[in-house]
Amino acid sequence: MTELENRLYREITRRTLLKAAGASALSLSAAALLDACDIRGTSNANTGKITIGYVSPQTGEAAGFATGDNYVINGIRGASAYKSGFKAGGKGYDVEIIVKDSQSNPTRAAAVTQELINSGADIVLCASTPEVTNPVATLCEASGVPCVATIVPWEAWYFGRGAKPGDAFKFTTMFFFGLHEFAGCFFPMWAKMNTNKVVAEMYPNDPDGAAFRTNFIPLVKAAGYTSIDGGAYADGTTDYSSMINTFKNKNAQLYSNVPLPPDFNTFWKQAAQQGFKPKLATVAKVLLFPADTTALGDLVINIATDCWWSPYHPYTSTLTGQTAKQLADGFEQSTGQQWLSSLGSVHSLFEIAHEALTNVDNPHDKTAVAGKLKTLSYTGISGPLDWTKGPMPGIAIQQPVGVQWRKGSKYPYSMVVVDNSLNKDVPTNGDLQPTNA
Amino acid sequence: MVWVNAIVQGILLGGLYALFACGLSLMFGVMRVVNLAHGDLAVLAAYLALAVITGLHVPVLWSALVVAPLFGVVGYAVQRFVIQRSLDVSPLTTLLVTFGLSIVIQNVLLEGVSANSRSLPTGWLASASFQVNSQLSIAYESVIVFSVAVVVLSSLQLFLSRARLGRQVRAAADDLEAASIVGVNVRHVYGIAAAIAFATVALAGVAFGMYSSFDPAAGPQRLIFAFEAVVIGGVGSLWGTLLGGMILGVAQVLGAQVDSSFGVLAGHLVFLVLLALRPNGLIPARLA
Repeated sequence: MTELENRLYREITRRTLLKAAGASALSLSAAALLDACDIRGTSNANTGKITIGYVSPQTGEAAGFATGDNYVINGIRGASAYKSGFKAGGKGYDVEIIVKDSQSNPTRAAAVTQELINSGADIVLCASTPEVTNPVATLCEASGVPCVATIVPWEAWYFGRGAKPGDAFKFTTMFFFGLHEFAGCFFPMWAKMNTNKVVAEMYPNDPDGAAFRTNFIPLVKAAGYTSIDGGAYADGTTDYSSMINTFKNKNAQLYSNVPLPPDFNTFWKQAAQQGFKPKLATVAKVLLFPADTTALGDLVINIATDCWWSPYHPYTSTLTGQTAKQLADGFEQSTGQQWLSSLGSVHSLFEIAHEALTNVDNPHDKTAVAGKLKTLSYTGISGPLDWTKGPMPGIAIQQPVGVQWRKGSKYPYSMVVVDNSLNKDVPTNGDLQPTNA
Repeated sequence: MVWVNAIVQGILLGGLYALFACGLSLMFGVMRVVNLAHGDLAVLAAYLALAVITGLHVPVLWSALVVAPLFGVVGYAVQRFVIQRSLDVSPLTTLLVTFGLSIVIQNVLLEGVSANSRSLPTGWLASASFQVNSQLSIAYESVIVFSVAVVVLSSLQLFLSRARLGRQVRAAADDLEAASIVGVNVRHVYGIAAAIAFATVALAGVAFGMYSSFDPAAGPQRLIFAFEAVVIGGVGSLWGTLLGGMILGVAQVLGAQVDSSFGVLAGHLVFLVLLALRPNGLIPARLA
């Protein structure tokens, strides 16, 4: 079988696995009961129960983000802290994790969050794209339920819900990064290339594109680059010749974007056909995950992007003691799929829930838990996270590193860390190479 | 020169739109069926082509030769066993049925092949182009798609005007009852028309898979451009569909040349203007 065929086959088995997961959730709770019986004789009996809700896009167009959820959550359920229950204020609590699928649909995300709140969730965790995190956080804020979000630029999570600078949400928090970190990640890579400092910028007419247009372009200009805005094209545009011509005419040698994945695919092919070959392409929002790379084939080689978690990050889980590498390897062995950055983020959500719920007197006291979340500072599998130092209240910042996609040995393409300007903890394992020599 | 480039790219893009619109035009022209699953069928065809390419180790163009006939057979069966039954009830039912088909295809694909986006591997063809000058390069891929569109639409037009079966299709389209009276097996003829429509949508799916990437939810977004091409050109007219596709493509690329945010909008505006001025399309003669 070819590599592609292998991948397709794996995809199919993964789907079957996902389907089986529904059934196994049932059997798991049965197993958990049995386990509890075993433990009950020896350890103290847990008198209460904590319910943790988790929402992510497991199906629909953003499903790629949630590829690792099943594996991570099974690992969490098996971690001793979760298995034997949390201890808070001298009492023991059984922990139940309820997983919900947003189906990549904001309305659905809100509906399943309401279900979680109705079933008495003490905390709601959510991940991946504003279409999940914002409706979930809005509902939690309104219902007074503590919430932690991740894998969403903080500006989209914060300003996207109508906050003004300095405003503090009472119950909702998050960790990830924002436009300043994109700049801090991309600019050093741009500086390493010998270019005319002209940047082609392709930002669509959607919320992400608008955020980059209004906030990122000023950063680009302030750093001494000439910015060529390709214009606010509509998502789903089929032909980019005019934009490509603009970039070519201005001789742009750097390229930055924040498109929808299929649009980038169309653009990048047409750019290659029509001779727009920037020396370095740094992309945001696309090519974050291995699954995105196969659709583009070899045109993906040496495209740079940001990476907030990888097996190369020297961090350890507070729950399982696993290193980042062990988590990624375990995922690859058990699913046959390539690791992806969301593994670490989702794992960290449950670390954070554990930190917050076990450091209050009463985990059912939602105000106390939310208060704990907003002042938390700990180091786990995502590295140091400190909510007291965020750009706005309730936000902890991760520092991404610059990576490039290269031909891989085990998988078609793999990520190589080429720039660690923002996070020196992560060693580079390759040199920055031009996207088009 | 940038304007020349815009027009050339627009015309080539029109080929893709016309290929997409062809089946839609045919099904509406002959059976009065608005096939809402059209875009999803194209995506399904693209996935099948991917399976053929990886399974048989053949280049992408050969995969079309497998997928198109296969889709033709599927089209005949779907028409005879699904759409015909709803046609017998009422024309509105066909809308519901094809809408249902669209949802079924999307979700079956999601279950079967995951939400990951895919693309048909074209190897060196993906970035190869014919360089006219620094402002104007023509991608081989676009030329191939455009040529296929022209060949498919003209041979279909020939088939409908010259071949015996083609004349039966036209007869059934013009007057169902009169056609049955003179001995045309209307249900079979409808099946043939659907088979052709499905085969062309399969070609469109393969072309689209080369052009961009696709995922299970990609279908409906493509449907709107196909609809516009059909309406601009004139419902049921294949030459009109080709012309409509090209006008839409050129409008989009020229619009984008003025301002990037104006690209897709320009296409919609041209469509609206033509709808107001020529509600029957530019070449209204149905299938003639």
